[in-house]
Amino acid sequence: MSFGAPYLTLPSFKYVKPKTLREVLEFLAEHGEDAKIMAGGVAVIDFLKERLTEADYIVDIKGIEELGGIKYEENKGLTMGSTITLYSLRESRIIREKYSALHEALKTLDPILIHRATIGGNICEAFPWMDTVPPLLVFDAELNIISLKGKRKVKLKDFIKGTAEIDLNPDEILESIFVPEPPVNSKSKYVKVLAKSEFGVVNIACLVSNPVDPSKRIVKLAYGAASPTPTLVPQVEEIFRREAPLNKLIEEATSVVLETVSPMTDIHASEEYRRYLIDVLTRKILFELLTAD
Amino acid sequence: MARNITLIVNGVKREVEIEDNELLLDVLREKLKVKSVKAACWRGECGACTILLNGEPVKSCIVLAAEADGSEITTVEGLIKDGELSPIQRAFIENGALQCGFCTPAFTLFCHYILSTRPDITEEELREELSGIICRCGTYKQIIRAVMQAKKHYKK
Ligand code: FES
Ligand code: FES
Repeated sequence: MSFGAPYLTLPSFKYVKPKTLREVLEFLAEHGEDAKIMAGGVAVIDFLKERLTEADYIVDIKGIEELGGIKYEENKGLTMGSTITLYSLRESRIIREKYSALHEALKTLDPILIHRATIGGNICEAFPWMDTVPPLLVFDAELNIISLKGKRKVKLKDFIKGTAEIDLNPDEILESIFVPEPPVNSKSKYVKVLAKSEFGVVNIACLVSNPVDPSKRIVKLAYGAASPTPTLVPQVEEIFRREAPLNKLIEEATSVVLETVSPMTDIHASEEYRRYLIDVLTRKILFELLTAD
Repeated sequence: MARNITLIVNGVKREVEIEDNELLLDVLREKLKVKSVKAACWRGECGACTILLNGEPVKSCIVLAAEADGSEITTVEGLIKDGELSPIQRAFIENGALQCGFCTPAFTLFCHYILSTRPDITEEELREELSGIICRCGTYKQIIRAVMQAKKHYKK
């Protein structure tokens, strides 16, 4: 039992803490349907409290060696264990230097919660405003999924299927996240507009490489809180491969973005306001990165 | 399911019977009577329930007590050494860094953590770092002043 007001207590469940990855997978193979995986618990505990989810078992995967850690390989990329905390990632020099949009996104988060919240949790929660997702989309992240049956890989852009809906079977877990080395001469950036909570009203991640040479130019844009799922707008890349004055291209890219996103109205902002922000901020972020030397 | 867990609270080993679905916050306050850990929002927003769990700051309203089995917990009481207030506590008093005092245990503890890990923190960085705890009385300015004053005690 708990002592708060009724809605502040948790429904009953059995807490399970396997010691090895093998034990986790075996448990999920048997009880996956009735279990919820927890690492930092930031989302799961809140969901349970709000009765948005229920489970017979809460499986704590924190501290399992194979699911933690961070490893960078020059010219290849960065692998992050799914249970690494967002705090460790925020403090990572490699992320700050090479994956700035991700670093900037992490810096917008609650400095205490990130000591518990994990990258895997942030991705698997799959809410439209999860901050790490748009940056990971522009960096073309790939997820490694594991179960007793074996391993598989899936691109992040295909993994999130809908609001709080992911491509993960009950017997599987997210093992790690891989982001390839960013393109040469690239810069990236993250902007977030806040309303009353720490969740963004609109989040944008942008990556630009070789801004002055259209044949080699790469531009990627991804949005959070702008559609039911975080959204990569792949058409933008082709637009910027063309030879034309920058302001024309930015204009065109912005209108494609506005056609692609489908922002909603909620207590934080109206659809109209979100569209306005997306419009203005897309131009701004593109202009900044395309004209930076 | 009920189970027994061991917590080392401010250096003292405590054994307590808990349910799997109990929050660490509730166990600390109601079973172990550590009342400096405040409960307000119960959902990770206000930071009043902040403690150090194995040295890391966490909001105890979103930690299961079961997870904490065997852990070391520090609350603001743990900052007192041999009956002496720590430099950060003294700085809070000297700068009047509180009004009602509800957020004070969390802020003092967290500021202690920040100064212990980042003794060179700038005022601007500090403002960002403090955004996880809410002071409804709005004493942020005095808190920042207190931290800046206590800084020298944390430099090696
Ligand atoms: S009571 Fe835990 S953050 Fe508010
Ligand atoms: S002093 Fe009253 S809430 Fe901070």
